[in-house]
Amino acid sequence: MSNFEFMQRMTFGQYLPTGSVLHRLDARARIVIFTAFLTAVTVAKGLPGLVLSLLLAVIGLLLARIPLGYALKGLLPPLPFLVILAVIQVLMRSRGTEAALFQFWLLRVTAGGLLEGVILLVRFASLVLWLSLTSFTLSVSELILGLNLLLRPLRRLRLPVDDLVLMVQVTVRFIPFLTQSAERIVKAQASRGAAWGQGSGGVLRRVRQALPMIVPLFLNSLRRAENLALAMDARGYGGNAARTSMHELNFQVVDWLAVGGSLLLAGLMVVWGVVI
Amino acid sequence: MESGWGAMNHLIEVNQITYTHDRQNGETPPALCGVSLQIAAGEMIAMIGSNGSGKTTLARHLNGLLLPTTGTVRVAGLDTSLPDNRQTILSTVGMVFQFPEDQMVATVVENDVAFGVENLGLRPAEVRQRVETALREVEMWAWRSRPPHLLSAGQMQRVALAGILAMKPRCIVFDEATAMLDPAGRRTVMEIMHRLHQEGLTIIYITHYMEEAAQAGRVIVLDRGQVALDGSPREVFSDAERLVKLGLDLPPAVKAAAVLHEVFPALPQDLLTLDDLLAALPHAPAGVVPPVAVSQTRPVEEFEAWIEVSGLSHTYLLDTPFAYQALQEVDMRVAKGGSQGLIGGTGSGKSTLMQHLNCLFKPFTGRVRVGQFDFNAPEVTVYQVCQMAGLVFQNPEAQFFEQYAGDEIAYGPRLQGLDKPVLRQRVQWAMEMVGLDFETFKDRLTFTLSGGEKRKVALASILALQPEVLLLDEPTAGLDPHSRKELIAHLQALRAQGMTFVVSSHHMDDLAVLTERLLVLHHGRVEMEGSLGEVFSDAEALQALGLAPPPAARIAEKLRQNGWPIPAGVVDLQELKNALVDMPGGMK
Repeated sequence: MSNFEFMQRMTFGQYLPTGSVLHRLDARARIVIFTAFLTAVTVAKGLPGLVLSLLLAVIGLLLARIPLGYALKGLLPPLPFLVILAVIQVLMRSRGTEAALFQFWLLRVTAGGLLEGVILLVRFASLVLWLSLTSFTLSVSELILGLNLLLRPLRRLRLPVDDLVLMVQVTVRFIPFLTQSAERIVKAQASRGAAWGQGSGGVLRRVRQALPMIVPLFLNSLRRAENLALAMDARGYGGNAARTSMHELNFQVVDWLAVGGSLLLAGLMVVWGVVI
Repeated sequence: MESGWGAMNHLIEVNQITYTHDRQNGETPPALCGVSLQIAAGEMIAMIGSNGSGKTTLARHLNGLLLPTTGTVRVAGLDTSLPDNRQTILSTVGMVFQFPEDQMVATVVENDVAFGVENLGLRPAEVRQRVETALREVEMWAWRSRPPHLLSAGQMQRVALAGILAMKPRCIVFDEATAMLDPAGRRTVMEIMHRLHQEGLTIIYITHYMEEAAQAGRVIVLDRGQVALDGSPREVFSDAERLVKLGLDLPPAVKAAAVLHEVFPALPQDLLTLDDLLAALPHAPAGVVPPVAVSQTRPVEEFEAWIEVSGLSHTYLLDTPFAYQALQEVDMRVAKGGSQGLIGGTGSGKSTLMQHLNCLFKPFTGRVRVGQFDFNAPEVTVYQVCQMAGLVFQNPEAQFFEQYAGDEIAYGPRLQGLDKPVLRQRVQWAMEMVGLDFETFKDRLTFTLSGGEKRKVALASILALQPEVLLLDEPTAGLDPHSRKELIAHLQALRAQGMTFVVSSHHMDDLAVLTERLLVLHHGRVEMEGSLGEVFSDAEALQALGLAPPPAARIAEKLRQNGWPIPAGVVDLQELKNALVDMPGGMK
């Protein structure tokens, strides 16, 4: 195996075009739906609502035809931190007058505290799953297009919506190429005997060691940016005509139903176990 | 459209233009001085010239990306210096650039193709229709929803071209658009260029490949910002001496024709492309000794392997849905002092194999041994191996970080902790090996060096570690013919000193003179293996893999088919000449 494969560590934030029902919804509908659920997961207080959100996330993954194993893998890296957080939560919240389920020295666990811990775990797990589902089913280009259309009314306020959205798009497009570029540079310098990531000594020495990697990365990025600007110029960007888009989204009955249903479920998540 | 512009006028008129990059600093020589050109609609023009001759600067004047310091450029009668004409000119003259990935704007292919059309402010239905037509034209429709970074360089270049085609231009300028591509990718782009030309578009392309220039209807040669030659390929390529002086070369077919002409005086004088030359080769008259039958079973060569790879496989992005196998069960043996060539298209696994040979990648499955180092041993790392096997990456000058050439070369040996005088000696030795004068070049700023000089500095920076094995990944990519010839000569000298080579290249000519044995990779598998002669004489198998033998080998093969007794194993022009001179009878 290699220390030099940067792309492998970039699984989060991947788009998986499986062509499922979910992928075929209007981009704007998906943006609204995911925003609604992510907000609901964040603000929901009751356990039933959160369990419901976890279930809905799994249903969403199945609907999107994402291999469940791959999606659940995203839960593993933050799991140790979550468990520690949950344990702390359990201990901190078990202070009340409630009868202890379990007591050892100063450590006291009550039913209420345990519930808080479980709530925290479920909340974070479903948050991670919903975020993953968003990135699996909503490509950056769709996000950009959807945002562009959702934000369009702001043009009337003379906000440069198009330029802003294009800026996001170019930045995102640059990331994989930057990663590839960094990988090449590190490999090339390692081939000349540079000890990458084996820095020792003072700050100055470490900075000096990093220079052979950073200087070319910087210069290459500048060159790329310059070339990209030229290519965009050559294709008439910044002309007087108002930019159009190849995609026309049209909200269909399915989209309305999906958005309506999702908003209801998201509302249910927030109130279930608290109000009802 | 401006009045007075009619069908009789030229599509592009360049009138006495000069261009200076830095107007404040009077010392920099102008990149263009006094260039005038007329380009008629429907022409197919190749622009050639050494690095720094002003080709790219001139090309960028043709669509108004650059504006002349003095003089005028008119496109379809419109002055490029007037801002109001900008959009019309940009949609009349499109441009495809050298680096494929730098042109991609969007995160998905079809959105990228749509970018230019969207800038024209067309209706969505119209945009979609144009995107589809353009993607089908370059045969990339099936890839429309892919992110560009998962495409090969050749495919990205086709997408970039589609983005221009969708704007429906009358003329397309290709600025070294084939320089970063493998042979199959280059051939496809050239074919598309010819097809577009037949459909009535004006095509202008910059290239370092003389065989590509020979396919144009008109060749413009630039030298230090001026037009040195302008005429049909036949006229331009008739003066070999002049071309060499301009840092250029003859197309391989023209060179070969000159050699063949001594033996076959009846051969026509005006053959420019290899296909024409092959078709014109004479048949052997009756009575010529038939070719010696080459025994198919060759004796197994016994040698001790200095580099030994066995059963090597490698998978990128393991454990993700994007996993793909770059190498499958690869075996390779190179003798000490031997030279192994690697060929294969983009994505065939050449670079991955190379990076296993200096331990950047540890063998995942299989074994790799180089000299005394067994790479399967966990304690062996690239930091030890780099003094034994030096890897020169493709476009190595992109990794420069020191200001001065001398420091850049000293980086590797300095990390080994050499003393000042020894270090100095090392750097001096390394620079001499690549033909750079120590005193002249050690204090030169790296960014002021020419393309060829930069490549030499990069090579010297690896040689300074005094490796026994030199691993070269595309050593001549992007160099002009003159710099390429020089670099090859220095590499040949290193070979003669007994250094072991592994070279991967898209240039079969380079491999023909630098290596002895070849390994052909395709989708990570070894498809062919053998001596130069064995691999290059099997044109059919190579063609099936999107590759082609070097011109001399193809000519030798065709002569053999025509009944001439050419021995097997002829791969370069010199060998072909010798074979023809030695040929028994029927020559005069």
